[in-house]
Order: sequence, then C-alpha cells, then structure tokens
Amino acid sequence: MSKFELTRFPLIKNLLKNRYPQLAVFVLMLAGFLFAITAGFVGTPVGSHNFSIVFVWIAWWAILILVAVPFFGRGWCAVCPIPVVGDWLQRGAVLEPAPKMSKWLNLRVPAKFRNMWMQNISFTLVALFSSVILTTPVVTSVVLAAMLFLSIGLSLVFERRAFCRYLCPVGGFIGLYAQTAPLELRVKDKNVCAHCAGKPCYNGSELGSGCPWDVFPGGLTKNTYCGLCMECLRTCPHDNIAINLRPFSADLAKPSAKLDETFKAFIMLGASLVYAYVLMGSNGSVKLVAYSVFSPAWFGYAAGFLAVIFGILPGLFWLSVKFGAIKTSSPGKQFTTAATALIPLGLMFWVAFSLSFVLTNATYIFAAISDPLGLGWNLFGTAATAWQPMLSSLVAPTQTLALVGGLAWSARTAQKSAPQAGISSVPVIVYCLAATFLMLWLLL
Amino acid sequence: MKPSELLTRIVITVFNLGVVALSLALWAQTPLIHARIAEGGGWSPNVIQAKVGEPLHLKFTSDDVMHGFSVGQMEMQPVDIEPGKVSETTLTFTKPGIYTFFCTRWCGLNHWRMRGTVKVTGSETGTPEPVTPPLYVSLGLDLDKPHPVPFAPAGRPSAANGQKLAASLLNARFTTPDYYRSHAPAQLFDNLRSTGLSDSQRWDLVATVWQSNTTPAGLAEGKQLFAQNCAACHGEFGGGNGVFADDLAAAGTASMQTMNGDMAMSMQTPADFTNPQRMLGASPALLQGKILRGGMGTGMPMWGTIFTHEQIWNVIAYLYSFQFDYPK
Amino acid sequence: MRPYAILFLLVLAGLVVAFAPLPAHFSAPVARTFHVEASQFAYQPGEISVNPGDKVTIELVSTDVVHGLYVDGYGVSVKADPGQNATLTFVADKSGSFRLRCNVTCGAMHPFMVGKLNVGANTWLYRSLALASLGIFSVFVLARTTKME
Repeated sequence: MSKFELTRFPLIKNLLKNRYPQLAVFVLMLAGFLFAITAGFVGTPVGSHNFSIVFVWIAWWAILILVAVPFFGRGWCAVCPIPVVGDWLQRGAVLEPAPKMSKWLNLRVPAKFRNMWMQNISFTLVALFSSVILTTPVVTSVVLAAMLFLSIGLSLVFERRAFCRYLCPVGGFIGLYAQTAPLELRVKDKNVCAHCAGKPCYNGSELGSGCPWDVFPGGLTKNTYCGLCMECLRTCPHDNIAINLRPFSADLAKPSAKLDETFKAFIMLGASLVYAYVLMGSNGSVKLVAYSVFSPAWFGYAAGFLAVIFGILPGLFWLSVKFGAIKTSSPGKQFTTAATALIPLGLMFWVAFSLSFVLTNATYIFAAISDPLGLGWNLFGTAATAWQPMLSSLVAPTQTLALVGGLAWSARTAQKSAPQAGISSVPVIVYCLAATFLMLWLLL
Repeated sequence: MKPSELLTRIVITVFNLGVVALSLALWAQTPLIHARIAEGGGWSPNVIQAKVGEPLHLKFTSDDVMHGFSVGQMEMQPVDIEPGKVSETTLTFTKPGIYTFFCTRWCGLNHWRMRGTVKVTGSETGTPEPVTPPLYVSLGLDLDKPHPVPFAPAGRPSAANGQKLAASLLNARFTTPDYYRSHAPAQLFDNLRSTGLSDSQRWDLVATVWQSNTTPAGLAEGKQLFAQNCAACHGEFGGGNGVFADDLAAAGTASMQTMNGDMAMSMQTPADFTNPQRMLGASPALLQGKILRGGMGTGMPMWGTIFTHEQIWNVIAYLYSFQFDYPK
Repeated sequence: MRPYAILFLLVLAGLVVAFAPLPAHFSAPVARTFHVEASQFAYQPGEISVNPGDKVTIELVSTDVVHGLYVDGYGVSVKADPGQNATLTFVADKSGSFRLRCNVTCGAMHPFMVGKLNVGANTWLYRSLALASLGIFSVFVLARTTKME
C-alpha cells in the first residue's frame, strides 16, 4: 500500500494551513447557501427553475456524489457552509483562537448519541419526503435553513461540531463512503503524537481549534469521522499531519464492524434502489403517491420504503451471512464485518442513479444561473436555455460501467472482509450480484 | 480584538447580508402577475387597473403549469406563460370599461375559472355603441328547457346535394340570416313539408341553408376556437367525450350528493354535438345564449365577456358541421 | 506474466460482451400508431415497444394540463394541450431502450415524468447483466491466480 504525501509540497501545505483561503471559500459558500435559501422562499415555486432546487439538487448533488465523495471523501465537509456560523459563535471569533473558558454551554454529547444512528434517522426522514423536498423550493429552503439553525443551536449547547458529527443527514453517508476515497488525513508518525504534550490538535491552541470532529488525529485509522477541516494541520506543533493520496478503498481493509455504519450502508443501498424505481421508472401512480405526503397511500409508500431499507435488504443479507458462516463467532460481528462489501456497491449505485437525472436536467443549471429567482433576469444570457438532456447516449454505458465496476469492487472487498468475519464470501457476492442485477434492470 | 479579526467580521457580515438583502430588494421591485391553476388561487392579482390610451405593460410568470394570457373581445396575440419563466406584453385600451382576461392554455378541469378583470378608466374617445340585448333574450328563449326533436335524418344531410334543389324550391324567407339565427334546423325541415320533397331531400336542403350562412373563413375560425376552448370537454369531434368528460361526470356525481340532488346546479357531462335529436332542435340563437351565458353550474363556462359576437356565430356554425356534410 | 495474460483475456471478453455485433433480428418494418395519454405525472401506456425500422406514430393526448413527450436518444418531441391532440412520427432506427420524458413543465414531479420506448430487445441490459456476471467471474479468477502466485 503506497501513499503519496501531498502536503510535502509547500504550496499545497500552505494553502491548507493558512486560514484565509478556506475562509474565503467558506464566505462564498455561505453567501451561496443564504442566497439559495432566499431564492427558495421568494423565487418561483417551480422547482426546475428555482436556484435553490437547481443548485442544491442538481449542481451540488452532482459534484458531491460524482466527484467529491468518490475522489475527495469528506472534501465537501471541508468547505461546507452549514457549520461555519455555529463555529464562529462557539469560538466567539472568526480568526482568533477560542477562549480558555467557553462562553456557551459546551456540553459533551451524551454517549448514547455518539454514533451514526441520529444521522441514519435524519437521512431516512429526508429520504421519505424527498419527492417534495427535491421539487418544492420552499421546502428545500426550510430544510436548508433548519440545517443551518440546528447546527448553530447545537454548537451553542454542545462542544465541537455536534451537528456535523451526529445529526447531518448528508454527513453520515459521506463519512461512510469517504473510506473508499483515495485521499486521507493522517499523522506521519504515531510516536510523535504519543509523546506530544497537551495534544493541541485535540484540545486546541493559539493556532486553531481542537478537532471540531472530536477525533484525535494520532488515532485516525479511517476517514469516516475526519472532516478534513485542517484545524490539526494548523495546531500540530510537530508538523506531523499529512494529507496523503492512497489507493481507493484503503480503509475497507479493516472493517469497522459497527451496526450504525452497517445500517447506513443498507439505508443508502435501499434508497438508491427505491429512487431508481420511483423516480426513474415509468410507474406514474407511485410518483404521485411519493409526492402526496401524509396521504394514506403515502404512508403505505413510507412503510414500503422502510421495509426495504430496514427489513428486506438487511434480512436477506443476514441470511447470506448465515448461509456462508464457516466459523462460529458472534453473528452480529459477522453481519457488520461482511457488510463492508456494501460500501463500494452503494456508492456506485448512487453514482449510477445520479448520472441519469443529473445529465438529463443539467440544462436547468444554465437557465437558473441567469435567472435564479425566476424574475425574468438574464444575467449571463442563458436564461432562455431550453431543457434538453445532455449526453443521453452516454448515460446507459456509464451507468453499466459504474455498476459493474462497483460490483467487482464490492466482490473484492467481500473477499477481503469475509475471512475476518469467519464466513464464506460467496453468498455475500451473490447478494451483491443480485442487487446489481436489480439496479441494472431498474435503470437501463 | 485584533484589527484583522474586526475587519474579517465586518466583511463577512456585510457580504452575506448584502447578498440576501440585494436579492430581496430586487425581488420586491419586480411586480409579476402570477398564474396558478384555479384550485391553487388562479391569477394573482386578478384585478388590473389601466387608463385609456396609456400603454399597460404586464409581466407574467406561472407558478405551476403552462398557462396563457389574453383579454376577452380584444384583438391580441395570446401570451404563453411558462412555469418559472417570465413573459411580457403591452396592451393599450381605447375604451374605458371592465375587460375580462383569461387563461388560454388548458390547465385542468377548472381551467376556465382562471379569469380576472382589467378595469380601464378614462374618457371615451369615440361615441359609445348602443347596447343591444342578445338574440335569445329578444326571442324570449328558455335556455335551460330541453329541446329534443323526436325524429332524425336517416343519413348525414349533405349541403352539396341540397344545393341542386335549392334554386327552384326555396322560399326567400328561409335564406335570410334572421331566419337562420332564430330557427332550429328541425323547424326549417317542418317548414319545408309543403315542398313535397322526400325527408332526406328536405334535410339536404336544411344543410344547404345552414351552410349558406357560413363562410369557409368563418368555419375555420370556429373550428380553431372550438379546438382551443371547447374540445377538452366536448371532444375533438364534438361527441361530448373530451378528456375532461369523465372528470365532469365524476364531479357531477359528487356535487349531486352534496346538493341534495339539485340537478340544475350540478356538473353535467358535456353536450354531445353529434347527437341529431339534440342539435337539430337547437337554433343558433339558443346556442348563442348557452355560449354567452354558460351552463349555470353545469361546468359550461360563460363566454360572453371573452368571445366577440362574430366569434360566437362562427363557433355555432362550426357546431352544426358535426351534423351536416359541408363540401370542402 | 500469467495474471496479466488472464487480465488481458478477461478485458477482451468484457469488450466482446459489450460491443460484439449480434445477429440482426429481421422483421419487416411496419407503421405502428400509439395513443398515449399524458397526465400528471405519467404516460399511459407507460411503455411502448416496437421493432427496429418501424415507423412509429405517437398520438399524444393530454388529459389535465399541457404536456410534452420527448424521446431520449432520438431528440424528437411533441407537445399537446388538452383537447388538442398532437402526433409525432419518426422511424425507430436506433434499437435499445429509451426514456420518454415530458418537456413542458407540468407541476412539481415534472422532472420525473417518464415513460419508455423499447426498440427491439433491450440488448444493452442483457449485455450489462452479462458484464456484471463476467465481473464477478473475473474477481474470482484473479483472486485465485494472485493467491497461487
């Protein structure tokens, strides 16, 4: 396993270490975020022409799932504007270090919430209402504003970034899939950390905050909970923090085998299958049902959705694991360890699903950027751009490539993780193959 | 606090609040007329003020589906209003009064409820036209009385065939526009009893007379108006089976339940213009009355403020073409 | 050397599965007419199937608001108001499965109003399923060879 340290280049290192480049990006992102919220409230209620919908659910989503997560892991979290206001308030400053005694409550998040379950629930809630959130600017704005205010509120009550770490519906799956990314933040030498007095990377110093993600960099073994915020790069007195390029899926070699993360994988896998059927399929009545939130039929849809992600997919996987059991060890451990194979599979399912609607609706971006509020502006001369699917002949081949590649990747992962779980990899691989067949059939 | 900290805080606050404030200010300065389906609120605003002779500049946007804008009884190109986009038009009114504007693209069962008014004030530029009551009023017709004829032609009456008999046999009275407008085809068929012609020859003659009261251009306009405004309920070929016919029937059943069976006030299935018993018993004056006034709760809109009299006569002429064979 | 040879063979097999021409399925082209009803947010029927070379006529009937029908891959489209049916005629000269998409904004779920046009068999789906199976096979084969090394 070869790694290539990017921070060995002074330019990259200084760009990351200096507070101002990131701050500039934060401020621009925050302005865009606030503008999206404003646009959703006052702009046209027509989703496909409102900046909030087009830039959040087409442009941002495309960048996130097709580029940021697969190649940069939590790269998005490094520039996400949602927590910055809470950060500033928590610290009481934009540039200056935090005071020794916090002005706010600064509570520790209770232990039972220090896991991914709240994120599983928040993502599932967003997923159940996605047909409305995805298409209605006002609702998108309410969700975005709620995330902003929740993150501010949690920053004032709890220490560090409680929202990012334990509640953000997006943060959970980015963390899960970040394990596959070819980019990581790690310490150069663990011994340096072991002997480091005061651990400023975790506790903070004059140079920056203690890890906002509540992670001790010296103990980092996987990307899941490292937000790439670069604070430790700034605080480390021993120049011991590195950003490395590494092979894809490096973190999956050592399965984390946690039930919350395992269910995150099932939620993501199931949601991509349900969306492929509901949103990309030709069954119109199920679209109406998914959109008619709180109607009796919608409760049926929600029950079906929940059954797929919490019942059918984990249930069948449980059977596969049982079927392939070689050694008798804790079934829970076997289940969670074997589920590591679903991480690359789920990521590529989302890539394949997103390709179809991102390329189809990309022309909305041109129209929306010239007339973001639907007021008849033409800022860049592209307001009249007609809807037209882009590169539609490439969609199906690319989807096949993503899904088949994802399947091979997950099969390889299964072969590596199955022995650690004490099971045969074959039933897990058959499970992945069946899921891929289903996704291919739904999308092609 | 260091100066850099202070400066950064100011820059961040001003920039971010500025983006929000600027967009809100620009939004507040752009008055748009919003079009929504009737169930979603229709036009907003639905009353527009204007002055005689002053150009009225209007900007529209649709909040849901495709709509259109036009002012009734006014020569103008309808404006398409696309969802999320802005379209504009400029109107100049020459006479004061209250005009009706309406949606020109079908946007659901209640499309025709999407109407509003333009109130035009100012001094009259010409002399006011005298107001004459419509023909059905002066004839004293009861628009809601059924008007079936007990008999029907065996085949489709042919105006071309009737043409051959017309020259010698017609009483001059029957060919006047006044006679055409105030009589049902069945009445002319009755009045031709004394000619000694066969039933089918008499029906052919009726067709000829009806055709003589139209022009190809008038029929073409009637056809176009019918397709745009009537076909969604009455059907492309007049059979009363347009795409909304089932919805109307369902709405009728629902409204009958809520209104204690008061049939007169309930939605009904659209009239079938291919039904000879119904159409041959209806005079142009009666049809004009129905179109002008509407169906009073049946789901048939009132068109009096939207179509000109000429347009209504052309639609009526086209309606009879579902009964009569007119040579092309 | 051996694993590379196997890898090469597997990639070659993948390319064959993906791109090898299939024996053409002969059927005399016919003219087919479909009456497609569009409503929020579906086409009825949702899927239409024709043979390659057929002359396809779609009569689009909108039953609530103005809808359109855009044939992905063919780039042809038609729009219809309720009461004013419109027809689209084209020759189905590309085989495969194509999405039909509404191209007149027709309400919230408009971007997801889709139908399907199947021209001949959906061979790309079958090829993809075969590629997926081949992918699994490759993983097993490569795992075995690297273990033997």
